[in-house]
Amino acid sequence: MADFEERGSLLGDEDEVPLAGRQEASGPGRPMSAICDPSHLLHRVVVLVFMCFLGFGSYFCYDNPAALQTQVIQDMNLNTAEFMQLYAWYSWPNVVLCFLGGFLIDRVFGIRLGTLIFSLFVCIGQVIFAAGAWANHFWLMEAGRFVFGIGGESLAVAQNTYAVNWFKGKELNLVFGLQLSMARLGSTVNMNIMGWVYSKVAVAVGSSGHTALGISLMIAAGTCVFSLICALVLAFFDKRAERILHKEQGRTGEVIKLTDVKDFSLSLWLIFIICVFYYVAIFPFIGQGQVFFIEKFNFSPAQARAVNSIVYIISAPASPILGFIVDKTGRNIGWVFAAVIATLCAHMMLAFTFWNPWIAMSLLGLSYSLLACALWPMVAFVVPEHQLGTAYGFMQSIQNLGLAVIAILVGIIVDIRGYLVLEVFFCSCICIALMAVVGLYIVDFLKGGGLNRSAAARAKLQKETSTDAERKRQPSMGMQGGSAARLSSMSAFGLRNRYLSRLGAKLPDHCSTHLSTLAHRSVLK
Amino acid sequence: MAAAETAGTGRVFVILVVVFSLCESLFSGGDSYKRELTVTLYPNSTPSGGELLHVKAVGGNDTLHFLFCSQGAPTLLMVHTNSSSSTVKVNWTEFLARNTSGSLTVEPQSSVLYSTAVVFSRLLEYDDENDTAEAKSNFFPAYELKDFIWTQMNLSDSTATLCGSPPRSGKGSLCLQLSVFGSEGRVDLCPRLLHSANSSQLEVWINGLPPRSNTSRFMLELEGVGGAYPLSMNRVDVRKFIDDEYAPSIFQVSLWVSSPNNDSDILGFVQWKPVAYRKSHPSLEDATPCRNSDPQQQNGNSTSASSALIKAFYSDPVAMGMNVSFGIAGEPYYNSTMFLSWTMLMGVGSPPVDSISPMVIGILTAGLGIPIVLLLGGGAFILIAKKRESSGYEPIN
Repeated sequence: MADFEERGSLLGDEDEVPLAGRQEASGPGRPMSAICDPSHLLHRVVVLVFMCFLGFGSYFCYDNPAALQTQVIQDMNLNTAEFMQLYAWYSWPNVVLCFLGGFLIDRVFGIRLGTLIFSLFVCIGQVIFAAGAWANHFWLMEAGRFVFGIGGESLAVAQNTYAVNWFKGKELNLVFGLQLSMARLGSTVNMNIMGWVYSKVAVAVGSSGHTALGISLMIAAGTCVFSLICALVLAFFDKRAERILHKEQGRTGEVIKLTDVKDFSLSLWLIFIICVFYYVAIFPFIGQGQVFFIEKFNFSPAQARAVNSIVYIISAPASPILGFIVDKTGRNIGWVFAAVIATLCAHMMLAFTFWNPWIAMSLLGLSYSLLACALWPMVAFVVPEHQLGTAYGFMQSIQNLGLAVIAILVGIIVDIRGYLVLEVFFCSCICIALMAVVGLYIVDFLKGGGLNRSAAARAKLQKETSTDAERKRQPSMGMQGGSAARLSSMSAFGLRNRYLSRLGAKLPDHCSTHLSTLAHRSVLK
Repeated sequence: MAAAETAGTGRVFVILVVVFSLCESLFSGGDSYKRELTVTLYPNSTPSGGELLHVKAVGGNDTLHFLFCSQGAPTLLMVHTNSSSSTVKVNWTEFLARNTSGSLTVEPQSSVLYSTAVVFSRLLEYDDENDTAEAKSNFFPAYELKDFIWTQMNLSDSTATLCGSPPRSGKGSLCLQLSVFGSEGRVDLCPRLLHSANSSQLEVWINGLPPRSNTSRFMLELEGVGGAYPLSMNRVDVRKFIDDEYAPSIFQVSLWVSSPNNDSDILGFVQWKPVAYRKSHPSLEDATPCRNSDPQQQNGNSTSASSALIKAFYSDPVAMGMNVSFGIAGEPYYNSTMFLSWTMLMGVGSPPVDSISPMVIGILTAGLGIPIVLLLGGGAFILIAKKRESSGYEPIN
């Protein structure tokens, strides 16, 4: 019976024309134009546009320091270690906030107010950052980045929660893909435009210096204001849809229990190690890459910024494609291994040769996208669903901790020992990740090889366990009639994750589709 | 003949300095050739500078003579002889008179293998109002270094420092510091050029010279003087290297070599890293790139006229001029710190080549080696485990 209901709702979700049944449920029944009807696809596309631009400002401004590296260092009289503090301060609040984001959205603020508050933090943070540059106070710039960080990552949580609330099933994949692309678009546009903006401002002001820097950053804050407006519009649409469709406010559905940490398996800890040591070789490198390309390869500043942004440009189209491939073929550990090796090759190319860095950076972009698609879903394979929230939160928290600490270390290494030693340091981080991948394969093999199954084998296992579980569940369906309404809103996503988590753990009393979004929120990082 | 070997009116200080320096790098692979250094200073009777410093670096079967003089334009002359007992003879009165050549000779004459000199002739300043660092126009009147007022040489350890200030204003100074080495090693201060026993290092810095505009940049003019085998007339070579450990963010070395036929053995070189520093104890953010022009032939006679040492040693000098300009477009101007320093290496034979430090090699070996070992070990383990599984066990059901 649950099967039929689930099938029915799946069809209903994917259909473009609202079914008669749904229209009755959707309220007063007076005919609305397609674009005003919250359940109609056209209206949801409009909402999607605003949803995508919600995160644009945050990603645009996150990499402002990297795009203006030489200007920031010269105008504020910094060395590389102090410059990298701007990235460290962004990551510090997220060590704690990763755990609190879901809680704040579900219990304290609600999705609409929460999104507004986080957008406001992003906007105010960027304004403080710009003001610090304009007034020539570096401590104010660091404070601005701290405030910006409070809003930035939590805004991504809110963006994902909106997506899950408005879109279901196969649409959700597309929506996540679009959100990712918008994020990457923001980063790319930032890298390539901010230098030009600065030069124009410097001409207008009369000379380059911290005043020109402050004004350029204020202009960048304009994108954050734009995102704030999108947040307001989204809040309006969401409230209106809630009123018309009588649906609940979106929830992240995350449950964080820090005591769950003791239950984490060795495989999961190895996945954490891979995550931390891999990403610290990517983001801090991009953060200070511009000067490296200018000095070693004799690039012009514009060329250096372009090659720095190629990682983001490539990951925008590559992530959905690679995600599709990884989903189809399975064998996640193999893909992670390939991605880590490719990144190691890229860094060694940059360190030991003078080959055109476009090659190495393109390889870096591809491998980074591949790893994101293959690594994060693995968490869902090894962790029971009721602990997924804690697992993802913990993973992001230590990732941010690693980024904060390593960003400072990177700056110090460059100042004292130069870029070759820095690249060797990155190579050694990747090698640690490589060791963790090999360890993960061995541990997983000893446990029965669940992580590296091909997709076909996994599907076969799903079918066997699902028929078993259905037979077991039939008698108890009557008792659980009340929760049938909850179960009936299962999407394909939720189904897959649910059955996959059954491969290892007892099915809990409640299930939530929203936990599937956790995998995709993290892909944005 | 009387007092030919000794200074006419002044005293001769003979300072015996024997330098035993251990190899600074952990691996002494490379040039472990050592020389013994002897320093002689010929002071001038007049209170201002004009001294002649002679450093003799004696090796197994050859000698390098370094002569550093501030009479006129500061000049560093290097003579390589194939005997370990060659000496320098100076006719001081003729030397001071600067009328004839031959007042400074290396005896025996037949043992001279190679000689070259670098004369610092002018310091140029130009107004870079458009921030292009093109150095083609807007030149202010140049500082002629032969007219500078030079102080007495300050000798310490194995270095000699010489400072001079502009003739009229007297504000600010241009200093040169010569270090001669008895063995391979690296100086502690950026750019930490690698030197061998066959080379000497000369650091030039401008301190406090008042700029004539807020957007001015400086250029130093050098002349490379040679006799039989002068420094290259065409080009300055640039060698790229992946290791920037010792001079962060500098991946190139510029070489001005003299080789009889292009691409045969290098007889002598002038080497530098294309970077200048804007502070006296610099770090990465104080580095400013510098560029050099192509060498161009100059009038040998005017070089002789500007430098006493050239006049004394060379009868028919061949001079090649080269400009080193400090700063490129986008870099801070001179008035941000009022300090610029640049270092060069001058020596015989092939220039020393940097190598990757043992620390980097160690980290790489460990970093790559351990995963490979793990991979092979784990792979073997899994193969064995799979073999054991596939053989023997039959499921009951």
